[in-house]
Amino acid sequence: MLLPAFALHQPTSVDGAVALAARLAPDFDWVAGGTDLLPNYKQRLNARPHVVSLARVAELRDLSTSRIGALVRLRDLERDPAIRATFPALADAASQIASTTLRESGTVGGNLCLDNRCYYFNQSELWRDAKGGCLKVAGPICLVVPTQKENICWAAYSGDLAPVLQVLGASVGIAGPDGRRTVPLVEFFQPDGIRRNVLARGELLTHVEIPETAKAYRAGYRKLRQRDTIDFPILGVAAAVHLEGDTVRDVRVSLTAVDTIPVWIDLADERDKRMSLAWIERIAARVLERVQPVKNVSLRPGYRRKMAAVLTRRLLVALTT
Amino acid sequence: MKEPRSPASGFNIVGKRTPLVDALPKAAGTAVYVDDIKLPGMLVARVLRSPHAHARIRAIDTSKAEALPGVRAVVTGAEAPTKFGVLPLSKDETAMAVDRARFVGHEVAAVAADDEEIADAALRLIAVDYEVLPAFVEPEQAVKPVPPEHKIHDYTKFPDNTHRLVQHAFGDLDGAFRSAAATADGRFKMAGLSHAFTEPHAVLAHFEPTGRLTVWSCQQVPHYLHRALAEVLGMPMHRIRVIKPTVGGGFGGKSDPFPHEILVAMLSRKCGRPVKLRLDREEVYFVHRGRHPTKTKLAIAADADGKLTGMDLDVVIDGGAFGSFGIISSYYNGVLSQAPYRFETFRYNGRRVYTNKPPSGAMRGHGAVNTRFALETLLDELAEKLGLDPVELRRRNLIPPNSTTINGFRITSNGIAQCIDECTRRSGWAERRGKLPYGRGLGIGCGFYISGSALPIHWTKLPQSTVHLKIDMDGGITLHTGASEIGQGSDTMAAQMVAEVLGVPIDMVRVVAVDTDLSPVDLGSYSSRVTFMNGNAAIEAASKIRDKLGRAAEILLAQRTKYGVPREYLDFADGWIYARTNPELRVSYMEALTLALENNGALVAKGVYQSPPLEVATHKGAAAGLSPTYSFSAYVADVEVDPDTGYVRVHKIWAAHDCGRSLNPIAVEGQIEGSIHMGLGQALMEELRFNKGQPLEPNLLDYRTLSAKQMPEVEVIVVETNDPEGPFGAKEVGEGPLAPVIPAVANAIYDAVGVRLRELPMTPDRVLEAIDQKRDKPALAHAAE
Repeated sequence: MLLPAFALHQPTSVDGAVALAARLAPDFDWVAGGTDLLPNYKQRLNARPHVVSLARVAELRDLSTSRIGALVRLRDLERDPAIRATFPALADAASQIASTTLRESGTVGGNLCLDNRCYYFNQSELWRDAKGGCLKVAGPICLVVPTQKENICWAAYSGDLAPVLQVLGASVGIAGPDGRRTVPLVEFFQPDGIRRNVLARGELLTHVEIPETAKAYRAGYRKLRQRDTIDFPILGVAAAVHLEGDTVRDVRVSLTAVDTIPVWIDLADERDKRMSLAWIERIAARVLERVQPVKNVSLRPGYRRKMAAVLTRRLLVALTT
Repeated sequence: MKEPRSPASGFNIVGKRTPLVDALPKAAGTAVYVDDIKLPGMLVARVLRSPHAHARIRAIDTSKAEALPGVRAVVTGAEAPTKFGVLPLSKDETAMAVDRARFVGHEVAAVAADDEEIADAALRLIAVDYEVLPAFVEPEQAVKPVPPEHKIHDYTKFPDNTHRLVQHAFGDLDGAFRSAAATADGRFKMAGLSHAFTEPHAVLAHFEPTGRLTVWSCQQVPHYLHRALAEVLGMPMHRIRVIKPTVGGGFGGKSDPFPHEILVAMLSRKCGRPVKLRLDREEVYFVHRGRHPTKTKLAIAADADGKLTGMDLDVVIDGGAFGSFGIISSYYNGVLSQAPYRFETFRYNGRRVYTNKPPSGAMRGHGAVNTRFALETLLDELAEKLGLDPVELRRRNLIPPNSTTINGFRITSNGIAQCIDECTRRSGWAERRGKLPYGRGLGIGCGFYISGSALPIHWTKLPQSTVHLKIDMDGGITLHTGASEIGQGSDTMAAQMVAEVLGVPIDMVRVVAVDTDLSPVDLGSYSSRVTFMNGNAAIEAASKIRDKLGRAAEILLAQRTKYGVPREYLDFADGWIYARTNPELRVSYMEALTLALENNGALVAKGVYQSPPLEVATHKGAAAGLSPTYSFSAYVADVEVDPDTGYVRVHKIWAAHDCGRSLNPIAVEGQIEGSIHMGLGQALMEELRFNKGQPLEPNLLDYRTLSAKQMPEVEVIVVETNDPEGPFGAKEVGEGPLAPVIPAVANAIYDAVGVRLRELPMTPDRVLEAIDQKRDKPALAHAAE
């Protein structure tokens, strides 16, 4: 399968990239590692005539425990001694993405902005045509839920880093024609499978900020997939707890691959509770109640839902003992 | 050269760990695959495929595509309506759809152009007028009567979409079930599979000005492609040359003559330029020919002594849109199910149906794998009902060596009893099975397989394998064979046979395999036939050369020694020909060769293999499954099941296999380990899912083969029975080792968590569902808990 023809642009600064984007919008895509975009382009999934590579923008490569540039490669994040010591959950989640080879190319920004995935979307043109088209590629309806009232795309968000960064309380930096801003990661993602996040065309995710307060939390990530390598998550659960003795001062849970965006579980009323198995069961029950996977990736939705509770329970047990 | 070994030391190279002769070029990246070949002026082909599962083609307009600059030829099905197919009994394919598209992805037209971009653009300019027809995608739909104009193929005699019915009955089955002390039965469902070979299909065709056509293709059976090209293109076979370069895996998926091979030849003939087509992975799923999805109903019976008295089998086989190897599959699902056990009565109803899906075909363990899963699972259940250990039940019913099965198979060498003994002893079966903590278990599975089909697909009296040898003054031995190296090691095997007989190092043998201008006909790499048949042919050819060299050595030794040495007393080893009784009396291979060449020229010899007459039974289909010998296997699996998630982790497989004699332990171990990898994929995760007949996951990310991380430790146990007719006693190891691992894992899951899975693959959601159902019904709880 051939890549479609496109013009490649290689700016060397964020300002230069943003200026270029303003000129090219909306007919362009950003590319970092290319592990997501290029396969999609080969399948003619919304390919555009211009591609702006961020590979030469040095300022996107910061890596510290408080600031992670969008162009930091997943392999570097996973192996960084400071990250491993301070936020092992983040290094662990990174190490479970795709394969070693792909992580040598794939980036933090790319994983956060990963395009949503679906049986009906990640297919060839012939395949999609045979089905009458997919909503996410200018088709008439979403084939996952063809009978829904409001016609929205149900492709699954499948990034592994987002839920972990969310439970660490991270924010993301955004640069665009209107300047720079910072958005909490829990507000970054926006339903549905087409809209995906708050980035306006021409805007760029520059970095992730992890607050100092995150260091008070114990965090973890559990990924469900059929093989212990290469697969996208069919479910991922991240959790963070702030413990004082056996009192849980705060608990955060976020899930990936079960909806069009990461699913943040509102647990405000579970703060300042005594840690107990009953408390863990209540949170697992909340997850079960909140999560409603649809049939868009492998393994049955009912199973994935059940596993969301099982993995949450296991993760919280591990974090609190 | 080394000193000659003492005569007592046995073989020269047989049984020695011998690296495959093509391993280094593959590892170094210098092996040439079809897609590496570039010819001057070569064009690129792309194929237009049907977006409909079933549609009548009313008209195809290619004029716009033809007018596109850079397009050199466009072809459609109407230009080559001659039907072909791998089996003469079901020729139902054409180079492209003629008037009917029968599955999503069916070839409809093809373009040759200067580059891929132009070819792709040209495909978009071809207008096809389809009339969409009702699609039959489930076997249940296919067995309902349909109006003749909606039948997927109109040539069949059935009022529905049945392709083939097979009915076998031996003995008083009903009586056996009536008087049984215990019975077990179940309905099983096995998913279709892709071979998932590494190299997608590629083909290069060059129709030269001389009127000769050369086709390079990754083929397991170049001979059948040779025949099909001649038939469809209307050319005499001598004007067609088929070459098989290095092949990146086949597993049965490259053994049909394919539409894409023929349409590329058509394109080249039309424009007179070399044309190459390489399929992308999605197209591999359209070409398909993978394992048939089957729905199997099985019941078995035993008497109070644990003697198996009856087997009642009913299989519905989902064939997809074409015949392919399907008639054979229809028989194999039944006839390859009984051994290694003796059943007193047996009934089989097999029905292969056409559906509007990519065609199923032959895949490693062809026809034997799915029924094996059902049978070995039920044997465990029956043992429990009889209060017997599952191993004990199997031992009581083993078919002995040198016997005949109820359906007429001649069994010769048979190491099944040793296989069972070895794998159960080494796995600690007696101490561990049924006694491990909840979540951990052991299971057993056995099997057998043909070592080459005795009945050739084409009813001719040509030998099934032929090998030519040529030795000139350089001493190197050129081995011409039609056996198709597809990664299984056939080149190495043939070279080893010759090196063994002539007592020379293997690097003196160079294999020229599969170029129909240079190589004798061989029926190809399928049905686990190559080592047995081609190996015997190679030995016969080498023995003729050995006679000539022996005669020369005899003359030389007569000149040099007082008494001389008669050639019956000569041995060949390490490049020497020496007296068996006194290794000091010797001449070198080169000396003997030099004399043999004098006034004579290059030594040439030919060896052939033809299987002996085996047909004793006379029922319809009696020849299906007849083989000059059979391999046997018994495996034990050690698995762990996570009862909360349904995940199955296989810790270890003890794999005992009777391959007659292990000619090359590296290759034998590789085949067994590879079979286990593939079998575990089918057991745990491989499944072709369809959406309205369209493959839902036509790529290697979503169609999941087992990853290296999930590959368990494998303890290969080679049981050598020294088959009386095998080359140096060898028989097959390429396919038989796959089937037992699936029921071994299923039975181990039962030992671990007390649930029986009736569906493949045993994915975590299915395993968990079974566990949850059992929790809801505690009355059925596992006895061991």
